[in-house]
Amino acid sequence: MSAVRFHHVDKSFGAVAALRDVSFAIDAGEAHAIVGENGAGKSTLLKILAGELRPDRGELRLGGEPVALSRPRDALARGIGLVHQEMILFPNLSVSGNIFAGRELTGRFGRLREAAMRERARDLLARLHLPVSPDTAVESLPIAYRQLLQVARALAFDCRTLALDEPTTSLTAAEADHLFRILGDLKRDGVTVIYVSHRLPEVFRLCERATVLRDGQFVRTFRTADASSDEIVQAMVGRALNVAQGFLGRPKRDTREGGSPASSAALKGGATFKRVPDRAALGLEGFTSRSFDHVSLVVGAGEIVGLFGLVGSGRTELLESIVGLRSISEGTLVIDGRTCRFRSPREAARAGVVLVPEERQRQGLFFNLSLRHNLALPAAEARRAHLVRSSERSDAEALLRRWRIAAPSTRVTPNVLSGGNQQKLLTAKWLALGPRVLLLDEPTKGVDVGAKYEIHGIVREMAASGVACLVVSSDLPELLALADRILVMREGRIRGELAAVDADEERVMRLAATPEAVA
Amino acid sequence: MRRLWDIRELSTVVILVLEIAFFAWYLWPEGARSHPFFNVGNALLVLKYSSIYGIAAIGAAIVIISGGIDLSPGAVIALTGVVAGALFVDGHWSLLASTTAALLVGAACGAASAVLVVIVRLPPFIATLGVMGIARGAAFIITEGRYYDLSKDLPPGWRLLGVPLDWTSPLLMVALALVFQVLMTRFQWGRAVSAIGGNQTAALYSGVRVGLVQASVYLISAALAALSGIALAVVQGQGKADLAMGYELDIIASAVIGGASLAGGRGSVVGAVLGALIFGVLRNALPQIPGATFYDRLIVGLVVIVIVVMDQLLQRRKGTL
Repeated sequence: MSAVRFHHVDKSFGAVAALRDVSFAIDAGEAHAIVGENGAGKSTLLKILAGELRPDRGELRLGGEPVALSRPRDALARGIGLVHQEMILFPNLSVSGNIFAGRELTGRFGRLREAAMRERARDLLARLHLPVSPDTAVESLPIAYRQLLQVARALAFDCRTLALDEPTTSLTAAEADHLFRILGDLKRDGVTVIYVSHRLPEVFRLCERATVLRDGQFVRTFRTADASSDEIVQAMVGRALNVAQGFLGRPKRDTREGGSPASSAALKGGATFKRVPDRAALGLEGFTSRSFDHVSLVVGAGEIVGLFGLVGSGRTELLESIVGLRSISEGTLVIDGRTCRFRSPREAARAGVVLVPEERQRQGLFFNLSLRHNLALPAAEARRAHLVRSSERSDAEALLRRWRIAAPSTRVTPNVLSGGNQQKLLTAKWLALGPRVLLLDEPTKGVDVGAKYEIHGIVREMAASGVACLVVSSDLPELLALADRILVMREGRIRGELAAVDADEERVMRLAATPEAVA
Repeated sequence: MRRLWDIRELSTVVILVLEIAFFAWYLWPEGARSHPFFNVGNALLVLKYSSIYGIAAIGAAIVIISGGIDLSPGAVIALTGVVAGALFVDGHWSLLASTTAALLVGAACGAASAVLVVIVRLPPFIATLGVMGIARGAAFIITEGRYYDLSKDLPPGWRLLGVPLDWTSPLLMVALALVFQVLMTRFQWGRAVSAIGGNQTAALYSGVRVGLVQASVYLISAALAALSGIALAVVQGQGKADLAMGYELDIIASAVIGGASLAGGRGSVVGAVLGALIFGVLRNALPQIPGATFYDRLIVGLVVIVIVVMDQLLQRRKGTL
């Protein structure tokens, strides 16, 4: 009998459909993987299971019986525990305080039974082979232990179904091994394990079956004993690529043959030509830090290089290290043939290297300042200007027109703009200082297709004018359409390089998700 | 073009004018006696006392716009007054030397706040609370309960650059308000202060020297408080360790009713000075109403809340920040 069954589940956020008519079942006592690309709907599905979200349509059945979970508490009461990807813990409480948070053991008049909780916590910690005392402050625990603490928290409530969302992203190999041994133990005790990951070796190691989601839809459930890693990857990415490229595409540049360097004329003519840059604008050699390991790459003037990797592969950290937001332990940075090391984005911007960050709300825009000031600020800082020029107003108007940012005037604040226009504003504010190297982190995150197309146009126009562009994205069709070359990063290392003409989703995904694959 | 209606300080001016009109009407004398409130001498008195708050409120507004808070101005006012007094009266230093020394002591308090906020990374509330205690304590240690009156040691009829003594601190307040208003609106430094208050992470990513600008803000706030303290000591002849107790909250309140948002990123230097005048008028006029003496703190508290709520409603209707 199935322990959990999703029955025609739909879930939308605004206009975005996260899940569409998803139906499949998970058997009691099995380990069942849910795999898919970023944005396939895996996390949404888990949140529905854990009572954090409610489906718009369809239902969730537990042991054959339809249930309506309106709160996480309801799910816990039915023996469903969820271990979140981002660890939800109370850093100020002890280990035992965290395990029982919200469902403390109490005596008469709500008196806390500290000793009983500590005793239960000690048993659970022993079961998970965690060598920590229940009184330890969670703040002082290593990341891996915090992950296991979430498992302990689920087990404390007699959890019969344990769901884990990408639990190994921040664990080392040894720590992940520990987690798998424990999950194996739990399986033997009859606990149903639902495992969400994009790391296929883990899926093959732990799970009997794997369900593939793509674009919010159910694709297929595989029996891992009968399926190959390639088959699953194909199911994860198997969309009609030609459609995406036809819409977003530009003539691919062929990187293998000789020819002239990039020029806008050649672009318009649709000719294929050589990319290997005559002039490297950005070069990294042996870049190493805690998040990545000996990364070397070159981006030529006028070239667009895509950097693909799944969440946690170290892409964002790499870009932030280039502009001096993070420190590196070794490696050299070469800009236009000169070795540099930037200590701040300010120094980087002065050298013509700008990072357009991923989170426009938190890292990008000033919601208390008008569009004019938003657009003028980075350039003025890089120029070391003292006076605020009155010419900024007409400059800002020109920028709004040039990048087709729909705004009532330059005096409004960014909050009146649509998400897509905010994203264009975010890109435009750094372009205004005339960069030589443009680093873009998820430049089209959360924008609609039209805005996406226009942002791609902006990037291409910059490249055509000789700017070196390094684009990080987890949107694979986007990179295939935009980049001349694609570098694939996994676990902090560059695992392969593909010319855009040779690249397809399957090859890139295989490099990004599986360790043993060869390009 | 900016329309007059869009100028944020306008509503504060309107409130001040209405307030003055109200008290002029309410306190209108019977018969031909001179008006107790609405006359030049009283106006000068209001300006003289308000300028102590107003000069410091300029700094408070800048700190608040940068997303911080400064609790030390009251204590810095007391400390600088005491230092100037001790050097001038006991040490027989020249007036210029003793006031300069006092200004430097005040700036040192700001430097301490800056180091604690920017380098030690304490929350501004805690950092400036600590500096407040230290400055106040230092003032008590220096005076050991003594009282310095600088004005009695000044030559009779003494003028600063030809300006009568009573006029110096109001004029200083106006001049400083104009200088800092221009710095905040027409200079990259002022825009960086607003940017940090609006979104500190984005400011860092945009190439703003966040630490340096934050440090400058605390230094300026303390230096302005020091000028207030010197004005209090020289113009009003007061240098005493328990002076200006609780001023920090009135100073912050002045900045807030002048349009500063404690969330950071929003506010006005001129607005803060106008806010100080609104309080100055209240403090001057309320005691003249029979029976209102015991109500003045309560009324001041209500006024803060009413003005800020009105401002919020107005902003919401305009639909912009």
